[in-house]
Amino acid sequence: MTPRRLPLVVIAGLIALFAVPLATDNDYVLALGISFAAMSVLAGGLNLIYGYTGLLSFAQVGFFGIGAYTAVLLVVDLDWSLWAAVAAGAALCVAVGLLVGYSSLRLSRHAFAIVSLSFALLCAIVARDWPDLTRGSMGIPGLPTPTLALPGLRWRIADPSDYYYLLMGFAVIAHGLIYVVVTSRLGRAMRAIKLNEPLAQSQGVNPLSYRLLALSLSAALSGIVGGLFVFYLTIIDPSIFDFYYTETMLISVVIGGPGSFWGVLLASAVMAALPDLLRFTTDLRMVLYGVALIVAMLVFPGGIGGWVYRRRVARWRRPQSQQTIQQQPERSP
Amino acid sequence: MDWSFYGQLLLNGIVMGVIYALVAMGLSLIFGVLEIVNFAHGEFYMLASMLAYFLTARWGFDYWATIVAVTVVGLAVGYVLFEGLLLGLRGEAFERSILLTMGLSMVLQNGAVFLFTTTPRMIETPLSYQNVQLGDLRVPMARIYALVLGVAAFAALYLILHHTRLGKAMRGVAQNRAAAMMVGIDTRVVARLAVAIGIGLSGLAGAALAPIYSVHPLMGFAFVFKAFAIIIIGGLGNVAGAAIAAVMLGVIESFAGGLLPLAMTDAVAFIAMIAVLLLRPQGLFGRGVRV
Repeated sequence: MTPRRLPLVVIAGLIALFAVPLATDNDYVLALGISFAAMSVLAGGLNLIYGYTGLLSFAQVGFFGIGAYTAVLLVVDLDWSLWAAVAAGAALCVAVGLLVGYSSLRLSRHAFAIVSLSFALLCAIVARDWPDLTRGSMGIPGLPTPTLALPGLRWRIADPSDYYYLLMGFAVIAHGLIYVVVTSRLGRAMRAIKLNEPLAQSQGVNPLSYRLLALSLSAALSGIVGGLFVFYLTIIDPSIFDFYYTETMLISVVIGGPGSFWGVLLASAVMAALPDLLRFTTDLRMVLYGVALIVAMLVFPGGIGGWVYRRRVARWRRPQSQQTIQQQPERSP
Repeated sequence: MDWSFYGQLLLNGIVMGVIYALVAMGLSLIFGVLEIVNFAHGEFYMLASMLAYFLTARWGFDYWATIVAVTVVGLAVGYVLFEGLLLGLRGEAFERSILLTMGLSMVLQNGAVFLFTTTPRMIETPLSYQNVQLGDLRVPMARIYALVLGVAAFAALYLILHHTRLGKAMRGVAQNRAAAMMVGIDTRVVARLAVAIGIGLSGLAGAALAPIYSVHPLMGFAFVFKAFAIIIIGGLGNVAGAAIAAVMLGVIESFAGGLLPLAMTDAVAFIAMIAVLLLRPQGLFGRGVRV
């Protein structure tokens, strides 16, 4: 996409997305849209931390679930408003993310991958085995219909179309934020750390603080999306930490291309529709996802984004008049 | 004071710790030599337990034949895994190796769920009902065997690493890959052997544990979570450190299980890992004495 046409395409796409509930009240279409909105934010968060900053994080599903559990418990048990409960969930996610990140990143990014996976598994186990807080594996069914107190109106989020607007609206904000970060100085520093950590350090970039910043941002986004999405599910139980979410995120990022903003967005749209296309083979769906991951790693490690980038570089390298070889140092987001 | 209760907790903890050690040593060995974290390690342990179940319950293998058969299959699987998948990853491919083994783990785990369902299975052998009386303690025979096997495997691994040419080559590659290649060590042979031993050890662990606990396709995932904590506590890539940390964790968990609420017991491994990372990031036993 050329930079000139990009804003037009984005605006047209946004108008189309927000017009969907006006055009149809088909619950199936709305459900797909809601699931796309939620999953794309999770994948975008993982892309920020893995694709741009180079840290493979399995903790995202933990943030998603912690955000969801915090919001639900605060709304159900303590009667908080949805705004406050979701914000508290996001704050908790950031705190936990900093603990996981700070402790493991002092050792290495290898340790970070291991600790983040342990963290996600621990969340699922604690949710199951601490019934006094989480109601154990029965979960909390029949969540109340939340109300958002916006300035001037009270929005009762009851219908699928309300959830569609809520989650799609948040997804637009979240992706906008991610886009701003990755195209700014911050994003360049993050990519520099990913590409060559000692070199980035020698230029005065402190890897730990940038990595913790990326981790906090993606933790907060995942926590918020968890807190909003769970009321649409109307039930919370330990399966909110299910590994299925991690796999969906990983495949979206890997197929879309780590470090490619549009590639990951496209892949998460496909992944939102895919479970339904694979309806005929529900039992083997996870096996297929695993095979997809293995094959992608062996033959297609750059994903869609990497492929587009290679093609673009090849075009630049094609000899033109005087300037023959001109390689762009960074890929476009 | 109920000393026999504490004695029982201690003994159960040591047995569990030795089983942890078998899995964690393999994981640590593979990391030390290849710089790959095998996220599918727990699934190989689960498949080994499954195989042990079918060998014993369906085809009437006795205890020792099952142990030997499953371990040999584990070694062979490790060989194939290395040649088939891991060889394609070279150099700075840490994240790729994780995603690859993660994909493998998904295939193995969900494939096992599809084929065998999640119903727990229990091996019933004459061994299940034999006990040894040690003072006030009654110890099931299967646990004693598991303990002996674990200690024997650790001793064998130690001897291989420190007293054979191949083991020394393995430690050399773990310490400095480039220097090892310069003196003529074939890193491919060494790495292949490390993976084979690693998977073989988790095969042994699975077979030894099968008569003690029930066997089901989701057991590997929870188990590898402990093994990850152990290799970090023991120092990444440090095999002996992993073994000691494993026994410590087994004992601590056993006491926590007897004395604390359930959610706390699960969190012990994670809390210990975070504490070690904050206080002593190189692990309790450091990285200086890797493999």
